[in-house]
Amino acid sequence: MEVSSSQPEFDYLFKLLLIGDSGVGKSSLLLSFTSDTFEDLSPTIGVDFKIKYVTVGGKKLKLAIWDTAGQERFRTLTSSYYRGAQGIIMVYDVTRRETFTNLADIWAKEIDLYSTNQDCIKMLVGNKVDKESERVVSKKEGIDFAREYGCLFLECSAKTRINVEQCFEELVLKILETPSLLAEGSAGVKKNIFKQKPPETSAATSSCCSW
Amino acid sequence: MAATSFLSPTQRYAAGALFALALHQAQIHQTRLLGSFADDEASDERPSSGSSSDSVSEDPELWVHESSGLLRPVFKFLDIDQAAWLGLEETSGSSPANHHVGAFMRLLSEDSGDNSSERSEQQLALAKAIDSMALSMETNPVAFQSRKEKHREYEHECRQKCSTSDAQENAAAVAIASENSPDTSEYNVQSSSLGTGYKLDRKAVEEGGMLSYQRKVTVLYELLSACLADIRDDDKKVARRRKGYDARHRVTLRLLATWLDIKWREMEAIETMVACSAMAAAREKELKEEEEAQSPKSSWAKWKRGGIIGAAALTGGALMAITGGLAAPAIAAGLSALAPTLGTLIPVIGASGFAAAASAAGTVAGSVAVAASFGAAGAGLTGSKTARRIGDVDEFEFKSVGENQNQGRLAVEILVSGFVFDEDDFVKPWEGQNDNLERYALQWESKHLIAVSTAIQDWLTSRFAMELMKQGAMMTVLSTLLTALAWPATLLAATDFIDSKWTIAINRSDKAGKLLAEVLRKGLQGNRPVTLIGYSLGARVIFKCLQFLAETEQTAELVERVVLLGAPISIRDENWKAARKMVSGRFINAYSTNDWTLGLAFRASMFTQGLAGIQATDYPGVENVDITDLIEGHSSYLWATQDILDRLELDTYYPTFRSPPRI
Repeated sequence: MEVSSSQPEFDYLFKLLLIGDSGVGKSSLLLSFTSDTFEDLSPTIGVDFKIKYVTVGGKKLKLAIWDTAGQERFRTLTSSYYRGAQGIIMVYDVTRRETFTNLADIWAKEIDLYSTNQDCIKMLVGNKVDKESERVVSKKEGIDFAREYGCLFLECSAKTRINVEQCFEELVLKILETPSLLAEGSAGVKKNIFKQKPPETSAATSSCCSW
Repeated sequence: MAATSFLSPTQRYAAGALFALALHQAQIHQTRLLGSFADDEASDERPSSGSSSDSVSEDPELWVHESSGLLRPVFKFLDIDQAAWLGLEETSGSSPANHHVGAFMRLLSEDSGDNSSERSEQQLALAKAIDSMALSMETNPVAFQSRKEKHREYEHECRQKCSTSDAQENAAAVAIASENSPDTSEYNVQSSSLGTGYKLDRKAVEEGGMLSYQRKVTVLYELLSACLADIRDDDKKVARRRKGYDARHRVTLRLLATWLDIKWREMEAIETMVACSAMAAAREKELKEEEEAQSPKSSWAKWKRGGIIGAAALTGGALMAITGGLAAPAIAAGLSALAPTLGTLIPVIGASGFAAAASAAGTVAGSVAVAASFGAAGAGLTGSKTARRIGDVDEFEFKSVGENQNQGRLAVEILVSGFVFDEDDFVKPWEGQNDNLERYALQWESKHLIAVSTAIQDWLTSRFAMELMKQGAMMTVLSTLLTALAWPATLLAATDFIDSKWTIAINRSDKAGKLLAEVLRKGLQGNRPVTLIGYSLGARVIFKCLQFLAETEQTAELVERVVLLGAPISIRDENWKAARKMVSGRFINAYSTNDWTLGLAFRASMFTQGLAGIQATDYPGVENVDITDLIEGHSSYLWATQDILDRLELDTYYPTFRSPPRI
């Protein structure tokens, strides 16, 4: 078995989750953040996953970001991905009102229902501010919603990359300030069972499986 | 290929996800028995237990990792959008399966709007075909009874040969018990798997309740086709070198069948059906090349004229094209043997049903590796008598057991005896078994094995031993052995003459193990998953075989299941970890705590190192089963293997027992 180096190349691992209606730009936001590019993407199937290493506040962080499908038919799947997330990003489209109203009607409820983490940091992100002329949800409305639900708030554009980095950074900074989340994300806590020593049934066994 | 699939894209996505989850779960099973880890229930409640510090993409050891070549070809076959692959791999590898299984089951159960009625009709046709296939594979009860009868006779015979004074009364008791025991003429798979205390299992089955039977078998059918489809790129990075049916895939399907609450024999029917249709397609192609008319009398040509296979070839237009370079003669030979099976199948389900079935198997543009699976089979194992001799193994020969040879079975079982009194004892202990595997018994070093077995038996019946037994000494010998206390000097002296023969036999079993590993590595079993079962020194052959495999193999792609019965293997001297890693499914060590014959013969290492045949091993991932109540002495393995194997319920994915019922 491959032995992982005893010095992990990061200090903390955080699990982040992107949710919101179909077409609000979750995948674009993630792509913009992880690879600095923007392109027309087809709807996500089920879930996508990306890793990004960042250094925030002098700490090396590994971000495991789950990007869920917004389409109704995959709704049943996403529920199981809330589990264990330290940060949840709710995305809406500032040019489509229903994506904003659905946050209160659907997504905030989903978080309450499925998130296992009491202290988990929530963030509200209004995407597509590059289409200022088509905007139907004002910044004020976003701020009010964030205040009501106790989350962070930013408006951004995956296309122009305005505020994209910032929204992940703010979220992560907040996680770093929360001791309980920090403890979970600590690199020392190895959960991968193949890297663990298998549980021994008796103390005398180690000699048989050590080589 | 999407056009010919019986499932909608979303359903295929869900099926791929479930397959990935099951694959990862199966790998976990290698080092932790499912249902045995205590934190299983608790982990459900603990926050963030799911997040692992490592992502799948960084751990090439994982079966779900891209480099294993186990998952991506399946995704590709299912025509799942490439963008979704990574998410699926991570999902399956980074969090406990029970978080997701239910959700994907629900996704699978949902109907997609477009042409769903047509699809469900196809699914129904397929399900019917599978049912009738399962029916045709059902062992006819009369034959089974007569086999049972034969087995009893054999048992009686053995008892005569091996009886010792104290065994006698025991023997009578067991004989009665075995007569009273419920007749296991039905498959022992049944739905017993539901009884496990494993939470995920129950949960999954609940969710599975929402799925129709047709949908479930269709999923399994398409997944199996995907496993066999030979569409992976010849990528150097991929660790999996062989074509054919990977043992890890079979284990995964077995787990998936459990989750879906589909009986394993249905899955075996699916396997046979895929094999049949693939071989039919291969034959079809071959015939075309031979310009059809050359063999007008073959029943195959008749079917073809009847439009049955023709219809299959037209429907979907995607019957598997078996590419060149495969063992065509073996396929042709296999086909004639298959004819009766196909013959019974076709009248029942009708031409359209068969066509539906065949095109389901053929929902791939590439070729299916079923033919590669069979490879040199038939001639393969039984012909390996002439296999290159290694060291000084004088005898090493496979003998077929049962009637499943060349019947399109996609899995092989190799049975190894180890305590024998004549050549029949290599085959007879295994004849009563009732499963759908292609079975072979390994006959090896009969001269030495008979010598050592006889020597032990002679000693047991000697006056000295009789005397000891009368005093009840033998029963305490074992505990003495275990506690490493001093032995009576007289006892030690008496065993001297066994020792030399025993040492030779141990030595030969190690070499036979190496030879067996060689056979498997060369693929003489036809690149099909192998189940290895052996008792006494035969178990040692198997264990050694696994160790030798571990020297060159990276993962468990060859061996699906292993059962060691009364194994003369040291617990702490041997590398159980390496051996376990070579087995993708269940690894069972069955032991009898009063098998003092074994203890006596193998006492040298027992003093300090432990002995697998009389006590539980401590490597996690190895199932320990106490069968003391079935075993009176070491020779009992000759006739008790059947009952033991029945108890183990090999066809279920998890053991359904914690401790065996005491008689």
